[in-house]
Parts: sequence; C-alpha cells; structure tokens
Amino acid sequence: MTVPDVLAEVVKDEVFFDESGGGITISGGEPLMQASFVESLLAACRSRRIRTVLETCGFADPDLVGRITENVDLFLYDLKLMDRERHQHFTGVRNDLILQNLRMLAERRRAVIVRVPIIPGVNDDDANLDALSGFLSPLGLRDIDLLPYHRIGSDKYHRLRLPYQMEGVDPPSTEQMETIAAHLRGRGFRVRIGG
Amino acid sequence: MNERVARLRQASLEAKPRLSIERAALLTDFYRSDRTAAVPVLRARAFQYLLENQEVYIGKDELIVGERGPEPKAVPTFPELCCHSLDDFILLNSRDKIPYAVDDHARQVQKDEVIPYWRGRSMRDLIFAEMTPEWMKAYEAGIFTEFMEQRAPGHTVLGDVIYRKGLLDLKADIESAVSRLDFFNDPEASSKKEELRAMAIAADALIRFAERHAAKAEELASVETDPGRRAELHRIAEVCRRVPAHAPRDFWEALQAYWFTHLGVVTELNTWDSFCPGRFDQHLYPLYRKGTEEGTLTREKAKELLECLWIKFNNQPAPPKVGVTAEESGTYTDFANINNGGLKRDGSDGVNEVTYLILDVVDEMRLLQPSSNLQLSRKNPEAFLKRGLEIVRQGWGQPSIFNADMVVEELLRQGKTVEDARSGGTSGCVETGAFGKEAYILTGYLNLPKVLEIALNNGVDPRTGKKIGVETGEARAWSSYEQLLAAFRQQLHHFVDVKVRGNNVIERLYADHMPAPFLSLLVEDCIAKGKDYNGGGPRYNTTYIMGVAPATCADSLAALKYHVFDHKTLTWDEFLGALTSNFEDHEKWRLMLRNKTPKFGNDDDYPDAILVEVFNALFDEVDGRKNTKGGNYRVNYLSTTCHIYFGSMTGATPDGRRAGEPLSDGISPVQGADRHGPTAVVKSAAKMDHARTGGTLLNQKFTPQVLQGEGGLDKVAQLIRSYFRLGGHHIQFNVITTATLRAAQADPEKYRDLIVRVAGYSDYFCDLSRALQDEIIARTAHEAFALPPAASV
Repeated sequence: MTVPDVLAEVVKDEVFFDESGGGITISGGEPLMQASFVESLLAACRSRRIRTVLETCGFADPDLVGRITENVDLFLYDLKLMDRERHQHFTGVRNDLILQNLRMLAERRRAVIVRVPIIPGVNDDDANLDALSGFLSPLGLRDIDLLPYHRIGSDKYHRLRLPYQMEGVDPPSTEQMETIAAHLRGRGFRVRIGG
Repeated sequence: MNERVARLRQASLEAKPRLSIERAALLTDFYRSDRTAAVPVLRARAFQYLLENQEVYIGKDELIVGERGPEPKAVPTFPELCCHSLDDFILLNSRDKIPYAVDDHARQVQKDEVIPYWRGRSMRDLIFAEMTPEWMKAYEAGIFTEFMEQRAPGHTVLGDVIYRKGLLDLKADIESAVSRLDFFNDPEASSKKEELRAMAIAADALIRFAERHAAKAEELASVETDPGRRAELHRIAEVCRRVPAHAPRDFWEALQAYWFTHLGVVTELNTWDSFCPGRFDQHLYPLYRKGTEEGTLTREKAKELLECLWIKFNNQPAPPKVGVTAEESGTYTDFANINNGGLKRDGSDGVNEVTYLILDVVDEMRLLQPSSNLQLSRKNPEAFLKRGLEIVRQGWGQPSIFNADMVVEELLRQGKTVEDARSGGTSGCVETGAFGKEAYILTGYLNLPKVLEIALNNGVDPRTGKKIGVETGEARAWSSYEQLLAAFRQQLHHFVDVKVRGNNVIERLYADHMPAPFLSLLVEDCIAKGKDYNGGGPRYNTTYIMGVAPATCADSLAALKYHVFDHKTLTWDEFLGALTSNFEDHEKWRLMLRNKTPKFGNDDDYPDAILVEVFNALFDEVDGRKNTKGGNYRVNYLSTTCHIYFGSMTGATPDGRRAGEPLSDGISPVQGADRHGPTAVVKSAAKMDHARTGGTLLNQKFTPQVLQGEGGLDKVAQLIRSYFRLGGHHIQFNVITTATLRAAQADPEKYRDLIVRVAGYSDYFCDLSRALQDEIIARTAHEAFALPPAASV
C-alpha cells in the first residue's frame, strides 16, 4: 500500500471527522518502525487538514520524532517504567531515548497523553509512580491514561507456541486502579482509567 | 403515565382485533335503498348514513372519544373496495399471523347481505376485470403489487386547516366556491357543483357524529355516580358540541377535533396509511402556549390528553388484508406517523415545547400506533436529536429519523413552493409529502431483482416457465456488461409501461366510482377547484412506484460484471447453470459470490456505482411520466414486508442468494453483506441521489452497547448528522441483541411485548412471519464503530 492508497481510504471518512472532530490514529505495532511511510502519511494528512494521533512507545530516532512533531495533533505516548535497568529487563531496551523524546515533545509544547500500562508487580510500585510524576511534572505534561493490564494477548502467544512472559500475572483490580489514579490526581495530573 | 392512562393502555393492549360487520351491513342497506344521486353525492350520503347509524362508543376513563367500530379494535370492512369471500373470513379468523376474530353473525351477514350486493361491484372486482393480460401476468409473477386492489388511495396527511377552521367555516368556503362556478363557460361546472354539494353533506355528517357523542356523554353523565367522572363526561359533551363544527379554542378541543376528523377519513374509505396529524407539534403549540399562559392548561394535563389520543390510535388496527396485499403489508400497524421538529413555514427551527412533550408521550406509551419520527434539520438543536435517541436506544424502533432539509429539497424538486415544502414532511414509512395539500399515492412495489431475472431468461419467468417480459436475447450471447445492463433496462421499461398503464385505468376508476368528499374537505385546493381528492382536487397530485431491493439487484449485477466480464472466474453457462439449479452442488461458487464479490454497503465504488445505475434506470423510466390527475410519477424506495413476498417469488440471484430467500429491504445493504461498519453503510447509501426520490428507507441494527451512555448517543448522533450532510433521507435503528431475538423465536409467549423495527414501522416480533423474523436477525448488527481497516495503519 502506498501513502496515496491509505489517504484515499482515510478521506472516505472525512464527513464523519467533520461531525465528530475525529481523525486518524496511527498505531501499531510501533508505527515509527516504518518511519518514512509514517512521515509522509502525516504530511499528507496535514495537507488535507485531517487530524492525526500517533500512538508510540517513543523508542525512535530523535531526529525523526523532531521532524514529525508538527504534523501530529496528539501523541499517545507509552511510558512503562522509569527505572532504566528494569526497563531493559522487561522490554529489551533502555528508556533513555524514550525519555529524551518525550522531553523534546514537552519542550515543543505538543499535545501528549502519557499512557501507562499498570502491570502488577512490574510497575505499580510507589517508587515507579513517584519517579513518573517527578519526571512529568516539571515538563508540564499533565494528562495520564492508566491502562489496566489484560491477558487478551496470552492466547495468541500460546497459539504461536511462544513463551508468555507475564504468565501468572493477574490483572489489577478496580480498587488498585482507583488507588493509583487517586495518588496521581493528588499530584495534579488529569488521570483517566482506560482510554 | 397516570393511573387513568395506564388502565386505558392496558385495555388497549389486551383487546384482540376483531372484524365488525356493522359498517358493511349499513353501507349495503344504504345502497339498496338510495341510488339516485350523482356519484359524489351518493358517496356523501352513504357516509352520512354510516355516521348517523353507527354505534357510538365512549369507554370508561376516556377523555378523547370516538371509535370507527362499535368498540376498540373492532375493525370495519369496506365491501365497496374489497368484498371478502367467506373463505377470506375463515382465513382471517384462523391464520397464524395477524388474525381477526370473525363471529357467526358477521359470516351470516356477509353471506346473506354483503356478498349478494357487492360481488362484481367492488373496486377490486372492477380493477381486476380491467387489467390487461400483460398486467395480470406480471402481477401474478411477483414483478409488482397493486395497492388499490383492497384499499383506497389515501397516503395523505392533514395540514393545519382544522385548527384554523371548523367544518362550518369550510361549508362557508364551499358556498363561496359554488357561487363562483361559471355554468356558461366551464363545462365541468355542474360536476363541480355535485362534488361541492357532496363535501357539504360530508361536513354535516361529521358534525352530527360529534353531536351523537355529546348526547351519549350526557346520557352517561346522568347515570354516573362518581362526581369526578360526571364532570369529565359533561366536559366531553361540551367539547363534542364545539368541534369539529367550529375551530378548536383549546388544547383538548384541538385533539378531539383531530380525532373526529381522523375517524371521518377512515370511515369514508379504507385509506392507505389511515390518516395522520402530521406536524402535530407545530399545530398544537399555539393552543398549548395559550393554555399554559392563561393557567387553564398544565404540562401534565396536556400530556394526559395526548396519551388518551395515543390510545385511540392504538385501538385501530389496519382493516384486514388478504392475498398479495397481506403479503406486502403484513401488519396490524396502520402507518400513522407523527412528525416532530423540522422547519417552520418561514424556514426557522420548528422544535418547540410540544415537540419534547410528544417525545415524552412516545417514550411512556411504547405503542405501535401512532408511530413517530424526528424531522431533523441542520437548524434543529442537538438536544432534540439526543432526546429522540434516548428513546431509540430502548430498542423498540421508534422514533425513526428523517433529514428535514432533504425532504424540503425533494419537494422543491417536484415543484412545490418553499412554504408548502417546509410544512410538509414524511408519512407512512418514509414517504415525502406536502401535508394538507397533496395526494401522493403509492401504487405498488416493483421487484427489481425479478426484472433482472427475467432479463437473464430472455423474457421468461423460470419459476413458471411463462413468458412475461420482452425478448432481450440469450444472456450467453452477451459479451459485455453494457449488453447485460441494456437488457435489464429494456425489461424494466416494459414492466413500468405495464404498471403505469394499469395505474392510469385504476386512477380513473377511483375518480369515477370512489370520490372521497369528506377527505376532499381537508386537502387544499379541493374546495377551491370543486374537485375530489381522487380526481385531481389537491394542489399537488403525485403517483409513486416503489423500487424494491436495489441492493440485491445491484449486488447481482456486480457479481455478473465481476465474475463473467472483468475477472472471467465463471462462464455464462456456469453462472446460469448454478442459478437454475439454485446452487445445488455449487456451494463453493455460492460462497464465492456471497463472500468474495464486491457488495453494496461497504463504501466500495465498484458495486455502489452499479447501484446508482439501477437507481438511475428506474428513475429515468418513471419520473416525470404524467398521471391522469394533472400530476407526475415519481419513485421512492421502501419495502414494508414486500421484500419477503418478492423474495418468495424470485429464484436464486447472482449475488449468492438462494431461491425464495428474502430480498434486501429498503435501500439497506443485503443482509450480512455490509462488513465495514455503519459509516461505510451510510457512505454507500448516500451515493444515490435521494433528492430525486420521494423517500428512501435505511435500516441499521445495533447491539445495545453501542448506544450506552452519553458517549454512545454522541456517536450515533454524529453518524446520523454525517449521513444527512451527505444527503441521506432517512435512517432507523433496531437496538437489540441477536440473542434476544432468537430467544423470542424459541419462546414467543415470554416475549409478547418485544417490539422491533421492521420497515418504516415497528411491530411485535411475535406477530411477524418466521421468514421476516429470520430476516431481521440476519440484518448485520454493528457492535462498534469499526473504522475502515486502512485507517489504523
């Protein structure tokens, strides 16, 4: 598929965007793995005045992120763990680049919602939440979506006969989620559960 | 609702439809004794005789009074239109769906009095005797239906006349029209005089009918022991002495005036779509405002009165239908459809306090009749749409939603003035009309996939082997899609010719034999012209042919184009062989046709462009032909229950549908063919030019989750607004889970009250035929607003 192909599909829904204030969300996988395609699609959408949302884990070349920022109306930016070693352990990479890119977006005053998947025993501890708010507050990033961990993916791993690393992790309870949300709200964040 | 209304509602729901022979017996008496006057005068005298002698019914608790039979749900027959045989009576009494109880007395009277007089004289007999062999062959093959073979042209809606004028005022208008007649230069002056005389007699007849109700109320009051009820009965008497002779002075009188008028129309003739107050919120608002400002009316009282009127509508099932008419319109619903909102005459926002009051009534009453709709203009507030959707999401199919701005555009295209267009709306299922000024007559459904079937078989109906079309050549010899389309157009031309020729004969039969002087009083400009409603009296006179199953037809043409010409997946021999064998031993091909072939409803230009070709083909054939009343033919797209009947008459179709299965309904995609969510459906549906129709019908089914919460309402509101921005005419929703519908099929007794949206109306699920139940289950239920796949890369 080419960028014009995708754009042709997108503009089919233009009338609905006009009514709802909506647009397109580019998600993944990780869309920035296909950097040049995403970059031209975003530019094409901008030229048609179609609102864009980019969902990303932020692990991408800062030059690329810098180039696309002006053509993204809203970033949905994953931030899983503040501790770089634990981040390395669970995701395979360190989080330096992720934090660097997020700082750049904040400095350029882009609209960002930080999305934190809450995985019990992995990142729901006070230390991580404190580090999170300590990092976001000075940057002026105030919107957080908390995404409760779910097991929907586990079946797919089994079917593909791949080891599922989160075996034995239970989804957080509603109360746990509310407690975390309240904790962050107390520090001045606008928090939604789900989203 | 208060206790009174709750009791009335319960009684109305519990009463079983039964056939009343009273009207037929009185009418027969009359015609046996008096046959001397001109036809319109005779019809008016017959009407007078009925209203003078019919039993007058005033029930316990009632505030709005009057029934057309001797009691609620007692339905009269109209032997001058359709003289039922004794076998018809047995069938009506015993059939599984939509039965009417027929007692021995009724059978006896029918046998001894009614049949001996009316057999051979009824309109049904006259019509069938006059039709050509071509017409009969097409009718019997299920190419088209004929609306006027059992019911009279009605399809009209009241404007504002009765709120401005009493019948005595209209009589004064008649006198002045008579005084203006030019007997020396106008050759029609004498017949106009007879018609005007007839209208005056009809006006007197209804005034007398109201007076009889006043007398009955006083009689009941004199023996009533409860002082509260006694006072109500006196008030009822007072109201009945005032209206409809004079214009109503308050809200109560306005509702009673409407109801007597309604009873007059549906007693005079068995008009299609009964009768309807149309833009009721507009008409009632001045008196509502006056009453509440003066302190003589509260919102609660107004609501109670409206609810009492709602009961009256629900007390009146459609008169019994038999034969093809029962197949094409298999329901008790009689299609009164209240319009809410829209535009005022001056083009400003029409939503007012009564609009919201009526929506509250609709919400509380949950009755099949009257049906209700939103006339949604871009000028109307979002709150109005949201209030309507709160009712929609309860899942019983009301209100349906119309694009008021498009309705105006359709009427303007047909040549109405802008004021007449804005004070119009939609009636029946989805039909556009200039209320109070137009006779817009639906004459019959046209089976588009069957026309294609005849084209594929060189004029022969494969179901019977009879040649019913014209010879358009062997399909096997066609080497291009254009040849196929040309053959389809040629067959279409033939059948529209046959239908129109029949219609023109039937129109004259009604004009000559069945004038409707009472209805003529109510529709402008019948009095001024001195002409009958059925004889070109109204300001506008439109005749409709309704296209059925454009989606099945377009998907079939698309499948042929795609597989025979574009991709050469199948040869003509293979394709036609598979159709002839009803896909016996060709299940693989059938699945390919169902699942791997472009389908209308997915915002895919390949099939959608073909649907537009089908649409244009029918439009070109029909639109602009002249009818016999000075008006024109137009097309619209609705199917009521006819897509089931037509399906049963149509063999396997190239889109992978098996023989006998239902066709697509309205302009909706084929059941289950829309797989890209509701946004793609409305995009596809908007590609045809709705402005060149007199109405289209689009069904959507949602699971209840979609409309949950304020967010759910917002999304559906945005979907509707988007469809209307694209020029869509109408959309309606079933909000119910498939599991519930299946449970209701399995255990109907538990789900007696389950109401679903069928076509342009709602009905009890358990009253629907099994085939229609299955068809509704098969309609695609959208579980979410799925974005087209490419949008989330």
